[in-house]
This record gives sequence, C-alpha cells and structure tokens, in this order.
Amino acid sequence: MEAILESLALGFSVALRPDVLWFAFLGCIVGTLVGMLPGIGPLAGISILLPLTFGLDATRAIVMLAGIYYGSQYGGSTTSILLRIPGEAASVMTCIDGNAMAKKGRAGAALCIAAVGSFIAGTFGIVMLTLIAPPLAAFALRFGPPEYTALLTLGLIFLAYMSTSSLIRTLLMAALGLLLGTIGIDVMTGHFRFSFNIPELGDGIGIVPVAVGLFGLGELLSTPSRQVPKDIMKPRLRELLPTRQEWREASMPIARGSVLGFLIGIIPGSAHIIASFMSYAVERRVSRHPEEFGKGAVAGVAGPESANNSASTGAFVPMLALGIPTGPVTAVLIAALLIHGVPPGPTLVNDHPNVFWGFVASMYVGNLMLLALNLPLVGIFVNLLRIPYAYLYPLIIMFCVIGVYEVNHSIVDVWIMLIMGVLGYALKKFSFDPAPLVLGLVIAPIFEMSLRQSLIMSDGTWLIFVQRPIALILLILCVLLLALSFSSYLMQRRDWRTRLAEAEAGDRP
Amino acid sequence: MTIRTDHVAGGALIALGIAVFVIGTDLPFGDVSAPGAGMMPKLMAGLLIAFSLLVMAAGRDSPPVTAIDWSDRGHAALLVLITGIAVALYQRLGFLITMSLLVFTLLVVVERRKVLPAASYAVALTVFAYWLFGIALKAPLERGLLWF
Repeated sequence: MEAILESLALGFSVALRPDVLWFAFLGCIVGTLVGMLPGIGPLAGISILLPLTFGLDATRAIVMLAGIYYGSQYGGSTTSILLRIPGEAASVMTCIDGNAMAKKGRAGAALCIAAVGSFIAGTFGIVMLTLIAPPLAAFALRFGPPEYTALLTLGLIFLAYMSTSSLIRTLLMAALGLLLGTIGIDVMTGHFRFSFNIPELGDGIGIVPVAVGLFGLGELLSTPSRQVPKDIMKPRLRELLPTRQEWREASMPIARGSVLGFLIGIIPGSAHIIASFMSYAVERRVSRHPEEFGKGAVAGVAGPESANNSASTGAFVPMLALGIPTGPVTAVLIAALLIHGVPPGPTLVNDHPNVFWGFVASMYVGNLMLLALNLPLVGIFVNLLRIPYAYLYPLIIMFCVIGVYEVNHSIVDVWIMLIMGVLGYALKKFSFDPAPLVLGLVIAPIFEMSLRQSLIMSDGTWLIFVQRPIALILLILCVLLLALSFSSYLMQRRDWRTRLAEAEAGDRP
Repeated sequence: MTIRTDHVAGGALIALGIAVFVIGTDLPFGDVSAPGAGMMPKLMAGLLIAFSLLVMAAGRDSPPVTAIDWSDRGHAALLVLITGIAVALYQRLGFLITMSLLVFTLLVVVERRKVLPAASYAVALTVFAYWLFGIALKAPLERGLLWF
C-alpha cells in the first residue's frame, strides 16, 4: 500500500505539471464536445485526433486521449437529457429518464446528478484501477505464449458473449479482423502476405485507418443531413442544484452504478454501454417505485451515468496491466502508446512509471476538471448543437483525412480508411457490429505470435494449452461462456442482451 | 425462396474466405510444430467461412434483403466519390488547395449551399486546420503546388 501511495505521489507530480494539466484540460473539453455531437463517438474522436498528439511525449499524449474518452462519457449525457439525443451509445439509457426530468423542468438537476454521479463513479474507478492494475501486471509477468493465447481467446469469447448481436456474428467479425491483421510481412518468416505489391501494406493495416473508416466515415455515410434541433433547453446556473430529496434518491444508484460499472468495465465488450443498461435494469428492479421509471426517475439518470463512467475507467485495467484491449477504444489507445514507443502491458508499471502513474493521477485531476467544467459551461456547450450538420460533417471528413494521413504520411492509409468507411456503411445495413473487427485487427499480431510460439514450444502438440494451469483455467472459462451462450440460444431465452439490443434500437427496455 | 440479409452477407464473406485460400496458395502452412506464414490466414479464413455458413443457416430470421433502406445511398456515394477524388489529388495539390476544394464541393454539390458562403467557409475552415496542424502542432502537411 505504501508503495502504491509513493507511486501515486510520483504520478501527481507528473499530472500536476502545467503542461500535462493543459493537455488533460484540452482532452476533457474535446471529449465533452465529441460526446455531445451526434455522428462522432469517442472512438472516431480519439482516432481522428490521434495525430494531434504526435508532437507530444507519451505521457501528455495518453493523458489527452484518455481525457477525450472519459470526457465523451460526460458530454453524452448533456444531449441525452436536454434533447433525448444520445451523443454516444452509452447515453441511450440516460435519455429515458433524463429527458423526462427535463420535461418536468428539472433539466438542471438531471445534469447535475449525471455530472456528480459520473465524477464519483469515475473517481471510484480510478481508485480501483490504482489498487488492481499494479498487482495484476505483476501476476501477468508469469504469462508465457500459451497463457497469452488462452487469454486472448477468452477475451474474444467474452466479447462475443457480452455483445448485443449474436455470438456467431460477433465471432465472425472478430475472425474478419484477425484475418485483416495477418496482412503484411510475417515477422517469423519474412513472407509478404496479401500485400499485392503495395510496399505500404508490408507493415500491415493500421488500426487508425480502420477505426476512423468504420466508426467515423462509415457513420457519416449513413447519416444524411439532419435538421438542427429546435428549442434547445439552456438550464441556468441557479437551476442546476438538485433538491435534498433528489440527492437522497441518487445516492445509492450512484454507489451501485460505480461498483457494477467497474466490474463490467474490466470485461471485454462494449462495457460502458452494457454497464449503463445493466445499471438501469438493476435500479428499476430494486426501486420501491418502478412505475416512475420512464417518467423522470432520478435513479434512472444517476445509475446508468455512474455505471458508464466507472466502466470506462475499468476498461483501462486490462489495457494497462496486460496490454490487452477490451474494446475498440482501448485498442486505439494501445496503438497510441505504441506510436509513442511505450508498449502497454505488465512491464509498463516498472519500465515507464512516469507514464503509468502520471496517467492514473491525471484521471483524478481530469474527473475534477470535468465536474468543474461541465456544469457551469453547459449553456455554452449546447450552443454547438445549433451548428447545421451540413457544415459540421465536411469538417469531420477533413479531420479524418488529415488524421489518418499524418500517422504514417501514407496515402495508402487514407485509401484504406475510405474502403473501411464503405465497409462500415455496408456492415451497418446488414446489422453487423464493427467493434469486434477492430479488436480482432489489434490483437491479431499478438495472437498469431503467441499461438505459433506455443506450438513451437510444445513441438507441435496442442496439449500445451491444457498442461499449463493458468492457460487451462482460461480455456475452461471459454468453454463455460460458450456453453452459457448456446444454452440461452437453445432455450430461446430473452436475456439482458436482447433487451439491450432493443434499447439501443430505440425501444424501451 | 426469399433472399434475406444474412444470406447475402454470409455469401459475401464466404466468397472472401475462399478468395483468401486462392490468393494465399503460395503461403506455406507449415506443420503444427513449425507453423508457416500461411497458417494463421488460412485458419482465420476457415473460421470466417464456418461462421458465415452458420449465419446463413440461421438467416431465416433476418429481414428480407429488399427491406434494407438504401435511401441514403446517393448521399453516401457522393461523399465517397468526392472524398476519393480529394485523396487522389492530395499529394499533388497539397493540403490547402485539396481541403478547400473538398469542403467547398461537399457543401455545394451534396448540400446545395450557396457558392459564396460555401467558399468562405471552406477557405476559413482549411486555414484554421492548417494553423492547428501545420503551425500549432508542427505536423508536416503536404505542400503540393504551394511553396509554403
């Protein structure tokens, strides 16, 4: 514990440097805007703005990008409450009761509860991250190739199990991502694979063009110009304070949402989306007045908002401790760290303590900043929603092109982004979720390397995966998850995933 | 028989999986004790085909392919075409000219905005992006035809 506190002190000495504070602030502001604006989610936002960090060192870069990520969770609640438009998917549940509260004249209180809940949950998540990540990283140092292969397999199956689309569709997209990840030079034999004599493809397909194409451009292609929302509510500062009764109603949902969100956050999948849905379902289940849900229940705002922020922080645990992404956003953040020459994983804590602890400490500071920023400035932020979409999306396309080109100064990357944009558009039409594809692409090199190394180590026997205890336990978990998933399919059970899919599609849960 | 969305999507992905096997014939699979460069792509192509077959088999519950709303296809095609032209010209014309033209064309051709406001907005936006990336963040942007 003493060692953790000492390390945290080191982290704060980094995070409180004026330059780091400035980039945390910038990240929070940009993240809030990204979260508010429909059509650009945190993933596209982070990917597009990745080149902004190229001139920075790893600490400032990751602090700024993480600020965009958790800032977007805050920003998403504003449009959900005021306009019933979820700026990003995790805010879908907040729309229901948040907007109902706004219609009853309690918009300010709803925004305040969402912001305070997010702050408490975010801080709880960071405390847990501080406590869990270093020992987990130390434990992960025992992992060899078979354990990593089993862990990545478990990650993919967890992702498929937690997904709102079917298990098979998710695994199909992950397989496509893994396949795309094999493009380029095979590092073990030097063979060029599927590079079609294009030298740039020798390095493989980058995560940034794929993520920006699928989630940025793909979204724009399927979003024809929309009307600017009329009658945008602008709550005044004095209306922001909830009543004592509202605080009482919010306290336990915030506590439950924080714990639930963190636990879901460390599991692969669209954790913050699932967490907000699960929290809403739990709050309705434990409420003495479930009939109030949908009509402006305070718990319906406090729980989901806390859960999605806590989950966002929880997702950093496997990313920082194991170097494994649990979702596309953490995958892009891993790519960002790699670009800056810092490989995330078990060695990060020891090899780059300034980056690790500076990042952790900056999250405490960033959460405080968001609380201080979001409430007083909400009136200014909502004005952005008045910008006609027709003027907004050319800006996003321009940033997509610059963002992708500046990573490697490669025009091939920009063409890949364009192709991925079309693929993202088609996947949307055919109801496929592109997130597992991105995840598959990111883990493909580690997965292939660890699988092949395992087989070479074992002289060609697959039994190596069941002879080593950690790998065996991870594989047993895989089998259990698959069995659970198939049993729900065979029994045609309408579980939480079905209800979440319905909620995302716009129905009430 | 009604053709459904999952039949079409599954069919397309099976074709992709087969294409990987065909294109990757020169990649050695190796053996289990010494896996070759072709092992992972072929394993993944096999999985892709297997999962696609399962999606197709369960496809009777998916909506008919005719039910897909393609009303946004014109907008999407224009965006791809205009962005594609901009990408093709980017290194030749440089950042300032290409991006101004890209934004201007999107506003005038796709959004039917008036020429003068569209041109002013396109130039202002591009100059702002140039300042942000090229000057404030010192990212080397393509000069193209211009000298700065």
